[in-house]
Amino acid sequence: MSKVLHIFSSRRTWAWPYILFMAMFVVMPLILVGVYAFTDIEGHFTLHNFAKFFSHTEAVQTFIYSIMIAVFNTAICLLIGYPAAYIMAQEDFKTPKVMAMLFILPMWINFLLRTVATVELFNMCGLPLGEGALLFGLCYDYLPFMIYPIYNTLQKMDNSLVEAAQDLGANRWICFWKVIVPLSMPGVYSGIVMVFMPTVSTFAIAELLTHNNIKLFGSLIQDYITTTDLLNYGAVLSLVLLIIIALTSFFGDHEGSGEEKGGLL
Amino acid sequence: MRRETTGYGLRVMGLVIALMLNLAAFAQSNLTYDLKVGTTGENRLLAEFPESYAGEKVNIRVTGYGLQVTGYGLQVSDSLDYIFADKPQPLAEQFDSIYQYTDEGDVKWTVWRNHKEIKNRAQRVLVTNAYKTFEGYIHEAVEEHRSHGWIWFVFAGLLLVGVGIYGCVIIWQRRKERNLTPVEQEMLRRKRMGMRRHYGSQLYLWLLLLVLYAPIALIAVFSFTKSKILGNWTGFSMDLYVNLFTGQADAGLNSAIWYTVVIALVAAICSTILGTLAAIGIYNMRARQRKMVSLLNSVPMINPDIITGISLFLLFVALGVSQGLATVCIAHVVFCTPYVVLSVLPRLSRMNPNTYEAALDLGATPAQALRMVMLPELWPGMLSGFILALTLSVDDFGVTFFTKGSGGLETLSTFIYSDARKGGLTPELRPLFTLILLVMLAVLIYINIRNNKEEEK
Repeated sequence: MSKVLHIFSSRRTWAWPYILFMAMFVVMPLILVGVYAFTDIEGHFTLHNFAKFFSHTEAVQTFIYSIMIAVFNTAICLLIGYPAAYIMAQEDFKTPKVMAMLFILPMWINFLLRTVATVELFNMCGLPLGEGALLFGLCYDYLPFMIYPIYNTLQKMDNSLVEAAQDLGANRWICFWKVIVPLSMPGVYSGIVMVFMPTVSTFAIAELLTHNNIKLFGSLIQDYITTTDLLNYGAVLSLVLLIIIALTSFFGDHEGSGEEKGGLL
Repeated sequence: MRRETTGYGLRVMGLVIALMLNLAAFAQSNLTYDLKVGTTGENRLLAEFPESYAGEKVNIRVTGYGLQVTGYGLQVSDSLDYIFADKPQPLAEQFDSIYQYTDEGDVKWTVWRNHKEIKNRAQRVLVTNAYKTFEGYIHEAVEEHRSHGWIWFVFAGLLLVGVGIYGCVIIWQRRKERNLTPVEQEMLRRKRMGMRRHYGSQLYLWLLLLVLYAPIALIAVFSFTKSKILGNWTGFSMDLYVNLFTGQADAGLNSAIWYTVVIALVAAICSTILGTLAAIGIYNMRARQRKMVSLLNSVPMINPDIITGISLFLLFVALGVSQGLATVCIAHVVFCTPYVVLSVLPRLSRMNPNTYEAALDLGATPAQALRMVMLPELWPGMLSGFILALTLSVDDFGVTFFTKGSGGLETLSTFIYSDARKGGLTPELRPLFTLILLVMLAVLIYINIRNNKEEEK
């Protein structure tokens, strides 16, 4: 009995349930994606699924198209979001904190409802649904994820560095490019990761915004994984997506990106 | 000096309100386009409509379940079976190659996309058929709409109110300025000059906010009208709110709300307990171990919904577990707990590590020490973790979608998804969404105020 008590009084062990839980429901499932990808429906090892992916023109095309859409969306979000974050973080601009909050608030509203609302807005204004609507909707959904981290880094930035640059004779333009932009790069990176990753894996948004005329990689995965006899092929597609995600998160500061989202509250 | 800034903000607000009302009026004016009869989206096709309907907007959507005709408060739909019941055999055969029914009576969309040409042809036929099927309804709705011209006056009135507010604010401000001394007036003038530099920036931010909130505002505004179709104003009414609270809304929506609440509460409570214990454990680990567990902790946060959902789906398939409420709850705990851990950890590093040991030395059992020493210190972090878990759970779609199984379990997100795929949005969702928006706003403001207070300390 005393031994049991001793174990519990060592607080290090309190994390064990969580570690076990994570091993069971995070690590195991991810390994299973790999296992399913390399097996056929009877559970024998095979590379057939991968061969199928590379010869499946529709899948490869959708994959490339999704990545392009994601890159475009990230670029648009960056172009729109950076100035907004920069303006809000300006010292002499005296933005009320409410303004920054107003930009974050839409993030906490169900994105499906927002997407449906966007569709209705397009319908109401008589605009056609299609690629344009898709890009607008994606940008609309993920813009806050770009603004927030950049705003955060810019706000924490040491303003005396800017002043020093000005004292040394830099004009506003040089000061912006040589001091502010490099200093805000961590925020930009995590913004890019936070926009790119959900965009590349999105599946419901594209379906709703284009009346299912444009298919993104996420919808393709969804189609295959929910069909019982094509489950293994779906696993291959998920694995491909997983690799892209892993690459992206290595590109960004991977520990930072999660904390940004958690730090919103 | 402060007061002027507030007045300035108010003026901008007035301008924004006026702009928004203008936009609303503009959107409404688009109802009288030339060609509106056809399907929505890119495949807008003209069907056999009488000349007198030119300029009316009736949407005919080909949805997963069949046909849906909407517009002017009209919402009628029919399954494809019925529409093709009296069609000659060859045509029906042609359509069989397009529609493939799954277990739930749903239509496989893949087939649509693969045969673009068949799809276009099919849609043309469908639209014509839909018109013939619903001719009477469409006629009635259009006639009724034509007698509703007064909506213009409502919008004009609202616009006037907006402009009026703006004007009042300006007059009120000028009035205040009259009492200032010349020196103060000069200072104010200089300040305004300085501010003018920022007009461009201000405008940019407000425009962005306007775009960001336009769809949200659309839903919020139309939650106060009874019409089944979003974008069709049939007069002010609180009926949707009443329906929502008296349970007269769609049965599917009611159960979806309950499931969402139950799942969110279970997930938030479980993840708060698990996460807090884990945070205490992680905090007391040695550096290398801590780094490992932190890395593990960040995996569910980095993973996009779809990957978490699919991997869990595969796990449940592999284990042969039937999916339902329990699996959804487990899945939600998986992606909520890391956030709880992250909100409790900073609290731990702020607290004196020796108090717990001291409590043990003074004879408290670990449970007592936890309850009486640690919990009061960790409480704020746990609370914000709990709230974060609640919002994440309510907001989630991807993970729920893959783990809910086929037993008919729907949360709000998945309900909205299937609703939208069918081509419409259950009207009671509008007031619900507006309420959620308000609650979110309140929570954010509360947390912000609390954080500010803590910073001041």
